[in-house]
Amino acid sequence: MAEERRFRSASGVPITLRRRQHSASCRELAVRGPRLQLRSLSAATSAVWLAAYGLFALSENSMVLSAAIFITLIGLIIYLHFVKIDQESLLVIGSLGIQVTSSYASGKESTVFIEMGQVKDVVINEAIHMQKVIYYLCILLQDPEDPQGVSEVVPLFQSSKPRLDCLIEVYKSCQEILEQRKTAPQSN
Amino acid sequence: FYCAVLYLIWAYIPETWLFSLGLTYWPQKYWAVALPVYLLVAVGIGYILLFGINMMSTAPLNSTHTVTDNFAKKQRQKKFQEEAIPALRDIPISEVNRMFFLPEK
Repeated sequence: MAEERRFRSASGVPITLRRRQHSASCRELAVRGPRLQLRSLSAATSAVWLAAYGLFALSENSMVLSAAIFITLIGLIIYLHFVKIDQESLLVIGSLGIQVTSSYASGKESTVFIEMGQVKDVVINEAIHMQKVIYYLCILLQDPEDPQGVSEVVPLFQSSKPRLDCLIEVYKSCQEILEQRKTAPQSN
Repeated sequence: FYCAVLYLIWAYIPETWLFSLGLTYWPQKYWAVALPVYLLVAVGIGYILLFGINMMSTAPLNSTHTVTDNFAKKQRQKKFQEEAIPALRDIPISEVNRMFFLPEK
């Protein structure tokens, strides 16, 4: 059972939230950002090549042109592989843990799994970030010895910063699953 | 105030007149202009520096300081009294979130 809704990110770009329910205690929420646009790619490439041509006209050194081509290619590859995140997803499995996956435009995926014993709660926090106050979803981790204190804060959806309406949807979905572990009998 | 008058006298009276008065070992007149310039540039850089220091000491998004602090960790619960306003305390962020975001409209 999957549903998809459109939202906006904190900077105004359109993002989509896809929610899938695999079972009663397992849910997957994925936020997709926009794909790499052809117009921004061609704008960046033409800017770099025009600058290189200007340098070539000034210095009469043809190495500048080939260096510009290399820089454009390598810069594009580095950007796609390390910077441009296409989709960030959250897989919540009640009583097992939470898995956070970021998939980059080049196909690379990096995942982090947090077991349920360490998860204290999933909350919407607000903090100052680069002269703005933004809402962001984060997982509060607890120390096993000290269940009352917060040992670490893991922010989610860092690159496709969704706005509050999208965050509320994700928050409600996560809380439905996290509540089940209070009513379920303690096994340890 | 007296320093200001002294400073003006030193800056404006030509050197020869000061020498004739017997005051020979005073700093070069260059400093009469250089020191105010230094001060003003320092004030201007101070604006930028303060801005930068503020940005650097803002807690990053993944630190626990955005959620709690030393006072909130050590607070003690007062006993609940009937028909009295509850005591002032730091409410944990999970409770605040539940109050804000969970009730259906």
